[in-house]
Amino acid sequence: MKDLIIKITGTSGQGIISSGDILSYATARKGYYVTTYRAFPSEIRGDGKCYYTLRISEHKALTATGKTDILICLDEDTIYEGLYDIKPNGVLIYDKDTVNELKENRDDITAYAIPLKSIAAELNSERSRNMVALGIAVEILKNLHLEEQILKDIELRYKLKPKEVIESNKNALNAGIKYAQENIERKDNYDKAQIQSTGAKLIMSGNEAIGLAAIAAGCRFFSGYPITPATEIMEWLAKELPKFGGKMIQCEDEIAAINYALGASYAGVKSMTATSGPGFSLMQEAIGLASMAELPVVIADVQRCGPSTGVPTKTEQSDLFAAMYGTHGDCPKIVLAPMNVADCFYQTINAFNFAEQYQVPVIILSDASLGPRRECVDIIDFDNLKIINREKPQLKEGDVYNRYEDTPTGISPISAPGDLYGEHVITGLEHTQANAPTPNPETHRQMTEKRFRKLETAAGQFSKAKTYGCEDASIGIISWGSTSGPVFEAIDMAKEKGIKVQALYPRTLYPLPTDWIKGFVKNKDIVIVIEANYNAQFKSTIVERCTNINKGTEVIEYLKYDGTPFTPEEIFEEIEKVSKVEDDKHNISTNKHTHF
Amino acid sequence: MEANDYKGKVKPSWCPGCGNHAVLMALKKAMAQLDYKTHETAIVSGIGCSSRFPFFMSTYGFHSIHGRALPVAIGLKQAKPEINVIAVGGDGDGLSIGGNHFIHAGRKNPNITYIMMDNEIYALTKGQCSPTSRIGTTTKCNPYAWTADRINPVLMALSFNASYVARGHSGDVKQLEKLILGGLKHKGFAFIHIVSPCVQYNKVSSFEKIKELVRNLPDNHDVTDRVNAMKYAFSPDGLYTGVFYKTERPTYEERYKEVISKAKQIAGNNVTIKDIMKQFQ
Repeated sequence: MKDLIIKITGTSGQGIISSGDILSYATARKGYYVTTYRAFPSEIRGDGKCYYTLRISEHKALTATGKTDILICLDEDTIYEGLYDIKPNGVLIYDKDTVNELKENRDDITAYAIPLKSIAAELNSERSRNMVALGIAVEILKNLHLEEQILKDIELRYKLKPKEVIESNKNALNAGIKYAQENIERKDNYDKAQIQSTGAKLIMSGNEAIGLAAIAAGCRFFSGYPITPATEIMEWLAKELPKFGGKMIQCEDEIAAINYALGASYAGVKSMTATSGPGFSLMQEAIGLASMAELPVVIADVQRCGPSTGVPTKTEQSDLFAAMYGTHGDCPKIVLAPMNVADCFYQTINAFNFAEQYQVPVIILSDASLGPRRECVDIIDFDNLKIINREKPQLKEGDVYNRYEDTPTGISPISAPGDLYGEHVITGLEHTQANAPTPNPETHRQMTEKRFRKLETAAGQFSKAKTYGCEDASIGIISWGSTSGPVFEAIDMAKEKGIKVQALYPRTLYPLPTDWIKGFVKNKDIVIVIEANYNAQFKSTIVERCTNINKGTEVIEYLKYDGTPFTPEEIFEEIEKVSKVEDDKHNISTNKHTHF
Repeated sequence: MEANDYKGKVKPSWCPGCGNHAVLMALKKAMAQLDYKTHETAIVSGIGCSSRFPFFMSTYGFHSIHGRALPVAIGLKQAKPEINVIAVGGDGDGLSIGGNHFIHAGRKNPNITYIMMDNEIYALTKGQCSPTSRIGTTTKCNPYAWTADRINPVLMALSFNASYVARGHSGDVKQLEKLILGGLKHKGFAFIHIVSPCVQYNKVSSFEKIKELVRNLPDNHDVTDRVNAMKYAFSPDGLYTGVFYKTERPTYEERYKEVISKAKQIAGNNVTIKDIMKQFQ
């Protein structure tokens, strides 16, 4: 068996996320690859449904999607939601104390009705029903030998909680295992399920990867305001930054958050903030200030469905326009899009390096499908990370220091309060090289060019766009950010069916690496731009910016905007459809397509 | 240091007779008394006539965006507590667009000084009513009648728990210098409200009118009595000047030191990124 998909579902407040987290940590620490997906409502308790999917595998899996092997349901509704996604011969575990009789069932799966509530009640901890259920699953998958590691992970997760919490969770897990051993008459084959362990891996969420990279890059100041699904970044940094003498400051709103970060950056300290859509809108004016005053700052936008409050817990890639063009005026900045959890780490390192080197705001576009998702990450080589610090002026008494000196690279050395002879005033007003405000037309023209020149200087430094698939493919996919998992899997599926496809993922979206895109498009007959928004924001940017894009290539869009991430299957279907049309050389005319 | 050492590269652009000239002079004199070094001092402002202040000083300065002087100043102070940080601005900047930050500055008690030059008008945009405009003020934006009451900055600062609250006016530079000096020396969030008339756009609150209204707080006023300070701030019988309230409590920076020391107790003094990494292994 190459991989196993376990799904834990129920109502929020039933411990779906905590049991899923514990299981994912334990599997990674046992040396299996694990990729997860979680979906949850914003209400802590109530009627909202929670879903935690884990794909445990021998090789690194790119998504957690696919048919379920074991479905664990803590409530009744999610049984019928998930029942038909179970593989033939798969397993359903549910609570017979709360479900009288299954209203729907399948003949080709094994359904185990377990008195989860009574078992937990016997231990005087009804809240531990989730861990009893996990115990049942651990026994069903006994060949994976997860028991010992899960017990360790319970201790780790609750180490700051009272001892009773650890004990009741451990007892519940053991009670589940014991019940399964003594009472279940096995009808499934998962007792033989085996996955080769390939050594311990790192496991972290996209949000944690951003926090970890911030500290590794030298960030010592974070200011933020709570917002789903970005809060985890500030929570993680609140815990870790003070260990390095750094600060995480919770502000009164997002406007304050970014302005605190700008004040700290002016003081010479690497600074960042993180937010999601509504907060990102509030930060736009200060992003312009950072651009005009040439202050380094990093902003992580963990996108969710918008506009307005939208769907706070669901994913979308609809802030691209806001990231590129949301600020008024001609505003140089850099926008980066990490493709997966590991890339969240590396793009955040890049973000700080670019911010420091080019003195611009750098925006990282993550999203709700990537930020909270835990997955395995290869070991990070901290000793060989390239970390860049801002260039300081070398000043002695009597020197004239022009903060905004117009240089061939556009970069002017930057001093900070505390530096002798480096006194200067920065401003959001247009200013001379000697930082005096001026409305002079020639100065505004010259300084606008100076600020944008930095992006030209930066262009050579950006991470290479990632390609995946067959180089000689006539079908291309251009996409960005978190869609990479399902897109790459779909390309693999297509390859098996004899359809050649190649994907291109630029990690820098602004300024747009037009040369790479033009080069990629040149030898393709058709290119599908895949993204999770209604307006085809990236496609229209590509079409607009790559003016002499190869005329022989058709560029179409494939969009999704229902709040759920793409699945490999639906992308594969799209590829298959496009491939047929290409074969027939017929016109495509569905709603989702646009001709050029 | 001499007051003149703080003279900036840019000549003050305020109108002749503007109250802000007096504030600039008073701040320079107070800073000279404390021997503030120009490279160890930062003046932070938002947008407005008075917010042009940093350009007229030889220290570090950050002329930011409308209403955001306080968050920029507090962020700067938290990142580098050894820098003397002074936030300056007007009534529109600090009480209208930036009002929210004022509340939380009081609550957090960062060791900075906030000088508000209150001319009771939006002057940079050529005369519209501000949150402190008096009843009877008419402008192009309210040509017929004034429709909202004014707010009371000193009372606000007292209720936000600012740990030093004082008021002066531009007609008395000597007193201003004393009040600002007290604010700079104070450990915590010092708020100095300065009634600083606009000679161009505000005919209601002229120098003459303000002079009629001001009176010193009585010598026996107990500056540690916040409720009594509020009574004077409320007082309908004139515009009291002097130190309303002064108390010592831990600053935001001091409280954060405790956060860092607790975190280091857990992690040890020389934690590395590789140690932090272990939680993901």
